[in-house]
Amino acid sequence: NMPEINVTPLGAGQDVGRSCILVSIGGKNIMLDCGMHMGYNDDRRFPDFSYITQNGRLTDFLDCVIISHFHLDHCGALPYMSEMVGYDGPIYMTHPTKAICPILLEDFRKITVDKKGETNFFTSQMIKDCMKKVVPLNLHQTVQVDDELEIKAYYAGHVLGAAMVHIKVGSESVVYTVSVNKYAKSHISAWIDKCRPDILISESTYATTIRDSKRCRERDFLKKVHETIERGGKVLIPVFALGRAQELCILLETFWERMNLKAPIYFSTGLTEKANHYYKLFITWTNQKIRKTFVQRNMFEFKHIKAFDRSYADNPGPMVVFATPGMLHAGQSLQIFKKWAGNEKNMVIMPGYCVQGTIGHKILNGQRKLEMEGRATLDVKLQVEYMSFSAHADAKGIMQLIRMAEPRNMLLVHGEAVKMEFLKGKIEQEFSIDCYMPANGETATVTTNPSVPVDISLNLLKREMALGGPLPDPKKPRTMHGTLIMKENSLKLVSSEQALKELGLNEHQLRFTCRVQLQDPHSDPDTLHRIYTHLKSVLKGYTIQHLPDGTVMVESIVIKVSSSAEDTNAKVLLLSWSYQGGEYFFTALCIVKRLMYQ
Amino acid sequence: MEAVEFDDILDDWFIESLKTYKDLHVYQLEHPTQVIEWTSEKTVCVTGYSLSKNEILELRLPLKLFADENKGLCAERDFKVAHGGFTDGPVRRLRHIPGTRCVVTNDGLSSDLQVWDLGGDDSDVIRRTGSIAGRRNVSERGSRIAARLSSPPQVLHGAQSSDVQLTELTSGRTLYKLETDSTDPLSFLQFVSDTVFLAGCCNGSVYVTDTRTSAAPQLSPPPASSGDSVLWWADASVGPHPSSCRVVRLSSSGQAVVSDLRSLGGGAVCQAQLDVQERCCNLDHIRVSWAPTLDDCISVSGFSGVVQIYNTCGWSMELQERQPLFQHRGHVVSSQQTDDSTPVFTTAHIWHPERPRTLLSAASDGSVHVWDWVDPEQSAAGSPIPRT
Repeated sequence: NMPEINVTPLGAGQDVGRSCILVSIGGKNIMLDCGMHMGYNDDRRFPDFSYITQNGRLTDFLDCVIISHFHLDHCGALPYMSEMVGYDGPIYMTHPTKAICPILLEDFRKITVDKKGETNFFTSQMIKDCMKKVVPLNLHQTVQVDDELEIKAYYAGHVLGAAMVHIKVGSESVVYTVSVNKYAKSHISAWIDKCRPDILISESTYATTIRDSKRCRERDFLKKVHETIERGGKVLIPVFALGRAQELCILLETFWERMNLKAPIYFSTGLTEKANHYYKLFITWTNQKIRKTFVQRNMFEFKHIKAFDRSYADNPGPMVVFATPGMLHAGQSLQIFKKWAGNEKNMVIMPGYCVQGTIGHKILNGQRKLEMEGRATLDVKLQVEYMSFSAHADAKGIMQLIRMAEPRNMLLVHGEAVKMEFLKGKIEQEFSIDCYMPANGETATVTTNPSVPVDISLNLLKREMALGGPLPDPKKPRTMHGTLIMKENSLKLVSSEQALKELGLNEHQLRFTCRVQLQDPHSDPDTLHRIYTHLKSVLKGYTIQHLPDGTVMVESIVIKVSSSAEDTNAKVLLLSWSYQGGEYFFTALCIVKRLMYQ
Repeated sequence: MEAVEFDDILDDWFIESLKTYKDLHVYQLEHPTQVIEWTSEKTVCVTGYSLSKNEILELRLPLKLFADENKGLCAERDFKVAHGGFTDGPVRRLRHIPGTRCVVTNDGLSSDLQVWDLGGDDSDVIRRTGSIAGRRNVSERGSRIAARLSSPPQVLHGAQSSDVQLTELTSGRTLYKLETDSTDPLSFLQFVSDTVFLAGCCNGSVYVTDTRTSAAPQLSPPPASSGDSVLWWADASVGPHPSSCRVVRLSSSGQAVVSDLRSLGGGAVCQAQLDVQERCCNLDHIRVSWAPTLDDCISVSGFSGVVQIYNTCGWSMELQERQPLFQHRGHVVSSQQTDDSTPVFTTAHIWHPERPRTLLSAASDGSVHVWDWVDPEQSAAGSPIPRT
């Protein structure tokens, strides 16, 4: 019965969303991520927890929950799972994730309940109660969940606080990652060399894509902003405080400087404070570029970017404004949008995904007439641009990840029913490892070959070395003889003699005997001598000795001759051999029988 | 190279590109390709040419390129690998058989062809379904391949002018053989109508063949040029009638000669000395192509890391030096190549069949670019007008 690790992606959905993976390793059950599917309005948006248990709380069935990063498709269902289905065990996530999750969850809750009027949804209190169960993780710190299960978080980098997780039970291990950026890759090779995980689990939603370069996305962004400014229009960029805002600011600042542009760029103060606060807190988590800027100067002491005041929205002429919230569902960004929407010279650039029910979602779906409060209609005449800056691992990225991590098995989770035979074949061919792609609700069982460490006694080792042959090589296993002693928690391999000695036992030897009757009138010594000569001539390659004590030895088989008590012309041959010498017995017997018929 | 330095070099070209390109997409394949071939309105095939195992990929172009009205609402900028397969050797040439889900490849070492099924909706694996033997076993430059819509599907192929044949794809039956004595290696093979095809040799001569007749093909001699060891490539523009077809021949020294198909033997319509800035010694990657919808425009690549667009309108019979209308320097500027001894060079390029100024180009460092260039002479009179 080979040990195995079971991996089951939960839920049944298409598109991006609802990441939730159950891993059973060494008797422990771990839930990786607990995401919400953004496209559904009913229970289909939650992962299917009935796989764990049909009814009742999940606490007894899960040893821990680990959240990889703050995106809603990875943590959106957490309060539902912990407070409405019921789970009281530990929920692990990095510090930045812990800080940002509740903000996003609350925003999301507000939109869903207030804007869409839904009732069966988690409450603000539930979010708070859920977060009380969170145990924050520091990078590179081993956490003992219990006596046997240990976890460790590593920098993954695709958003602030994103982590790769290493899970270990005994000598079996699993690594889970959503996506890995370039900066993280240089870190990964350092630690990942030391342990080849049994399974590397990764999302593969974008595994079959070949991504357009970051530079081209930035180019498109700059081009759109520039064209709008040149025609005297205004650009609104609704952002979430910790999304791409800072990078886009740096980009615009560099561009403005380069092109000697004069139009003002504004950043709403609420954003500034929040962002400053978080970046100071999580400075080790930000990427090189941002850290460089932050260190060189305070985040928002740009030459061209100034603090926004809401009266500026009415100023004539071109300008660019970054304002929250990111989905245009409330607050300052929505206010500005209402003022600018009617002018076709203006532009709104949406840098990320918008949840259903928000204005952002509506205009990205092409809606040009919006119903506002008090039955007022808003004509959307400005240009709407949807730009994606999200960093997901593409085809090349996944291959690189596997190359670095060297897992014994690969497992891709993507939730779609679409076959990815080609990628599976590619991975299996290039790395000679199995690639699993379980569908949602399907369990992939991966057999592991855990190594059991055993101490070997010096004497035994020396003896094996003395036998000659090649030196011990992990790639070329060799059989050896010894006795395995299991004492307390240790395993020791010693020679049989030493084992007997330690156990205080006597060694016994087994010898077998056989009598053969032979007609021979000669004297005993003569018969013995004749047998000796005959055997010597027919059994080439064997060690045959005529010993002074009146025996003939063929290897370790002893032959004695004595006269028969009943018949003076007959001789009795006594053959005896020990357990190891048995294989020669039949040879000897055949020969002797031939002697009889001479 | 430090990321910061890299950014600086790109800066100038990228800033300029805001004005010089309408659209620009830059991709990095795992392995470089010598092939970009349309397999449908929205998909292309690329494939590796290393001596051992390679991949064939059928890529779906990003949605953003096709969204015309609501372009801004489409954020999708990435290629999607729709189908993929593995080959045992290099692929130097690949041709899609119109009306089918088949492509035919050649490794550039022999004259045999491999036949592949690109696969449908039920599987994303490209599988080899058979092979077609060429008339000659060993071939220095491999076979050229051409195809047009026909039922049942057929493929035209050959390594030399003496072994060009038209083969029925499924049965392997030979339907037509080009009978010539000369054994000039081919550099160009193309159908200009259902029954007429052109076979261009490396020495610059072109055979015009009608598969309906058993008469000998018309042979058009190489254009007059200086230099004996000059090699030639060609492309024919396909118009509504074969008679309106024009042929451009390009030499390894950068001489471009335009002729009418009708009077191919009679003499050129016009010619020019192109400013190709030859950098690489391996000329296997030279490509010349007519723009499908822009009158009089040709594109040239393979001499260096640049793709050039020339407007032949205004060329004369005199061999004068002409400057390109537009140059795509993207592959040179953003090259990921670490080996500085071999500069990056373009390996293939094609035009989008409908969008007037959109091209796809590939280079030796594995990069693939999709670009929609802005005509610098747009406001001036005489700029190329799209045909449709």
